Amino acid sequence: MTPLGRLAAAFAAIVAVALPFLLKPFGIYLISMWAVLTVAAIGLNLTLGYAGQVSMAQGAFVGIGAYTVALLTQAGCPFALAFAAAGVLCFAIGWMLGYPALRVAHHYLAFVTLAFTTLVFLVLRNEEWLTGGTYGINGISRPVFFGLSTAKPLPFYFFCLGTLAVLSLATWWMLRSPWGRAFKGLRENPIRAQSLGTDTRRYTLMAFAIGAGLGGLSGALYAPLVQFIEPGSFALGLSFNLLLMVIVGGSGYFFGPFVGALIAVLLPEWMRVAEGYYLIVYAMLVMVMMAFCPSGLLGLVARIKAASRSNRAAPAPALRAEGAGS
Amino acid sequence: MSAVLEVSHLRKAFGGVVAVDDVSFEVRDGEILGIIGPNGSGKSTLFNCVLGQLRPTGGEVRVDGRTTTGMRPCDLNRLGVSRTFQLLQVFPQLSVRDNMVLAGQEHQGSLVARLIGRADAGLGDAADRMIAFFNLAHLAAEPAGALSYGQQKLLDAAMAFMAGPRLVLLDEPAGGVNLTMLGHLRERLAAYHAERNATFVVIEHQMEFVMALCTRVLVLAEGRIIAEGAPQDIRRNAAVIEAYLGH
Repeated sequence: MTPLGRLAAAFAAIVAVALPFLLKPFGIYLISMWAVLTVAAIGLNLTLGYAGQVSMAQGAFVGIGAYTVALLTQAGCPFALAFAAAGVLCFAIGWMLGYPALRVAHHYLAFVTLAFTTLVFLVLRNEEWLTGGTYGINGISRPVFFGLSTAKPLPFYFFCLGTLAVLSLATWWMLRSPWGRAFKGLRENPIRAQSLGTDTRRYTLMAFAIGAGLGGLSGALYAPLVQFIEPGSFALGLSFNLLLMVIVGGSGYFFGPFVGALIAVLLPEWMRVAEGYYLIVYAMLVMVMMAFCPSGLLGLVARIKAASRSNRAAPAPALRAEGAGS
Repeated sequence: MSAVLEVSHLRKAFGGVVAVDDVSFEVRDGEILGIIGPNGSGKSTLFNCVLGQLRPTGGEVRVDGRTTTGMRPCDLNRLGVSRTFQLLQVFPQLSVRDNMVLAGQEHQGSLVARLIGRADAGLGDAADRMIAFFNLAHLAAEPAGALSYGQQKLLDAAMAFMAGPRLVLLDEPAGGVNLTMLGHLRERLAAYHAERNATFVVIEHQMEFVMALCTRVLVLAEGRIIAEGAPQDIRRNAAVIEAYLGH
């Protein structure tokens, strides 16, 4: 990371800690939602941005995680255990969903994962004996740690922020390790990667499984945050929204999901003044951005930085070229 | 001399087209075997069958006496068989150094050890040495996609050597490379061969390159071996001139 980037990250961390003290409960709810969705977006960024596997199923994994935590805690299971179970379950299902990715890629894979999302939605809606069907699950309680309750907005926000910090640190470690390089190899040139000894099958499955696991953990936070879940929350809309977060923030950039989730959570609120038009404005913003900067906001930052660097470096090669010509 | 690679009665058909037809040959320890032949004679298909990218229709491949027919490319690579491709194959968005580390990291320790161990899998120095060996040191931090075609071709070859392979199959290493870079590439390959006593198999169209580098040459036409011998004999072989050099 550049010194400027480090400064920006430190500043963002300070804001993330200080901000809730200045906000009303609804504001704290919003930034909690940001932290929760960022976890899911980090997972999708791993699958899509680093390993290059298109997934439209991240919303479904958030749903599976949320229902797992809701059902287990209401059955009397401690939160920590339910939280871990949500991650492990989604990891396992994500691993299985990875198998189609070994056969199909790009938009075909998008369709496979799209179908999976619809399937999960139907199961959540139709299997009433387990999920409560369209009525959903009510009154999900927030966890208590060592006698400290997170029922109030502020402690729950810090619980979400702390979880985000731990999970993003773990992801950062993994991405800077040889695993991260292997994931990028998978994205950039799978045939070459395989000829260099990379077990592309195993890494593809892991990219799906770890991404899905993070989706599940996000859902495990989502359920106690909103305290009421129903199947509609985890339909295609959420998967698309998470995809948008990754792409708008900057797919394949570590901090992309943080930025993307912030925009996806805050923009609708800021654009309340536009009332019914906000979705139209949002959609147009996304279209403009995709046309002019498909690498997302952080991609735009990287491009500006590269341009200013080559501007400063430009005179020397130009002089050399003149010298060679004469 | 023992055989590093044995190919026996290898056959590959795509529908009705037989691309490789009953091909048998051996590659001996430490030699540089050239495979030449006109376009469509089955050279690359032969490579792809030997290296597991394609599953042969029939026949057998052995590496150091061990049958490897149908093995996955990544498992073959871990046995010490490496390759380059006819078309350029680097990781364009990764730095030159990361390209090199990626080329060797899967040979280092277990999967879990690679996760918790060092970011460069302990290959940083080895990567830098190999980059310097191929005269790319000044470009180590650049993304591979920013290099010139010839430089990428060098990197491509360097990556194939990164894990210290026992056998390297080079598919048209000189293709599309200008003459200066060509001489440089040939000289580096020869230097690597001399230093490590590595075994190479080279597919190439550029005859000067083959004649200068290889110790033995096979000629392939329409999926069959039509001649085999020392480079200077191949030049004089009537069947080869008919099939290939005469054109």
